[in-house]
Amino acid sequence: MLFLQQLLNGLANGMGYVLIAVGLTLVFGVLRIVNFAHGEFYMLGAYATYFAMSMAGLSYIPALLLATLLVAGLGLLANHFFFAPLQKEHEFTMLLSSLGLALLLAHSAEAIFGADPKYLDTPYADATLDWGNITVTEQRLLIVGVASLLILFVYAFIRYTRMGQMMQATAQHPEGAALTGINTRFVHSYTFALACALAALSGALVGPTTMLFPTVGDWAVLKGFIVVVMGGLGSITGALLGGLILGVAEALGGSYISMGFKDAIGYAIIIAVLLWRPQGLFTPGARR
Amino acid sequence: MHAVATGLLLLPLAMGNDYVLHMLTLWALYSLLALSLNIVVGFLGELSFGHAAFFGVGAYTSALLVMTWHWPLWLAPLSGAGLAALLGWLIGYVSLRIVGPQFAILTLGFGAIVLTITNYWVDVTRGPMGLSQIPAFALPSWGWDFSQARHMYPLALLLLGVVLYGCHVLQHSRQGRAFVAVRENPELAASVGINVFRTKLLGFVVATALAGFTGALYAHYLRVITPDVMSLTYMSAMLIMVVIGGKGSLYGPVLGALLYTFLLEALRSTGAWRMVVFAALLITCVVFLPSGLVSLWRRRKEATT
Repeated sequence: MLFLQQLLNGLANGMGYVLIAVGLTLVFGVLRIVNFAHGEFYMLGAYATYFAMSMAGLSYIPALLLATLLVAGLGLLANHFFFAPLQKEHEFTMLLSSLGLALLLAHSAEAIFGADPKYLDTPYADATLDWGNITVTEQRLLIVGVASLLILFVYAFIRYTRMGQMMQATAQHPEGAALTGINTRFVHSYTFALACALAALSGALVGPTTMLFPTVGDWAVLKGFIVVVMGGLGSITGALLGGLILGVAEALGGSYISMGFKDAIGYAIIIAVLLWRPQGLFTPGARR
Repeated sequence: MHAVATGLLLLPLAMGNDYVLHMLTLWALYSLLALSLNIVVGFLGELSFGHAAFFGVGAYTSALLVMTWHWPLWLAPLSGAGLAALLGWLIGYVSLRIVGPQFAILTLGFGAIVLTITNYWVDVTRGPMGLSQIPAFALPSWGWDFSQARHMYPLALLLLGVVLYGCHVLQHSRQGRAFVAVRENPELAASVGINVFRTKLLGFVVATALAGFTGALYAHYLRVITPDVMSLTYMSAMLIMVVIGGKGSLYGPVLGALLYTFLLEALRSTGAWRMVVFAALLITCVVFLPSGLVSLWRRRKEATT
């Protein structure tokens, strides 16, 4: 029974990781940026939801949607000022720029919101569902439900819509895409904003399961990296499988080995994956 | 030129202001650390996020050898550097075959594991409490105590001079040119007979050894260390020094460390905003001044000649 409970917890946490990782993998796939600031958009999404509820008096769902829109707008600005001018530069420069942006956002958040932890209270955080000995909070069910829908949505969007196909073309060959008349700058902005919206949404959904503090972005982006590396940088189905594996591995490892080393499990996984299959577990052959 | 600089740097000793001397000592130690990271980031052109771990390994090894196993004080820092280098060799050996963003993430993973072990191996490292009362270097017969800034500063300055000279020689040696060739174009470098992997590994091991040695000096000077020295906060600080000052140059990291040490202190009253200032500086340099502050000086020199 304990095993089933841990498995379920792991899957629920894993869906949260998937939600964080999808945006990260999109940005890498299309813009070729390993975005260290992705976690900060997660943090901002959670904080924006918190303030929309506590200061504007909105209820949880409208606050979450407002936060998502706000952060998407912020993402547009961030891309315009920090990444678009560097698009032709070496990936090393982009990495440093994203690190700078991450530090800027995290420390600004600390200066403005204060370092004391906040708690994002939702109507679903304390409500639980029980089957026999197994208990799940409604918040976790909400995460699993929304994340599953979103993955399907993003997958279908990229596969079947015109915009999605333009994103694929830009990812495969930016110059070639531009030659066929695709405005790659627009595709980049669009993708970055979409990724930020996904990060914010994951912050608003996963944020209530932990305490909220300005450095939570570090945690989010590290989990995101682990998932993305496992699934292969740029792959959405990889992110889905990677997230679930990480969630389950942490839950089982945490309860059967040691809680203290729970976070190290993820790092051990990425080291093993990068050394054994640097292109990711679920990507056939070398892509680049 | 060098004589003037040395004179200026020794002037505070005559004035004997302990606070200024302490800041200058920290600057010299941070410079050593930034120079070691510069070997990886500037010379080899790879972004390592695990460098803080080697600094921490050097600090912890040296402190623990002296405190728990009563090793002689002069041997412990060398052993700290040695263990950091050994770990650097191991980690470098498995990860340097991977390049670009994946290498950055991989080193981030290794760094995080070292930090986790330090945090949870409480029996040995005392966990998050850290180590305190670390014995300082001393020459009792001369009345020197190297936990005092006025005694440590000349030593740190001397070591900084030695390392700067070493980096200068390295830059102009065959090996140094091999580093640059590997950074600029690994395929071309391999085609003229440079063993790319071994060149990178050598650079990485030298950098980690220097980071470990600096960590040991830092531990015996401040006499307190916590696992925080391996955290991402320290890692970002190091990268800020190297990038703002000028990666790949000789004096850039030293200049970056100077700016970091003193601006951080000057902005102390602004609280959390001071790191916002550094983050903004970092981005400004990445976008507008990719070769850092030293390149301003070089530009002016070119403009006048």
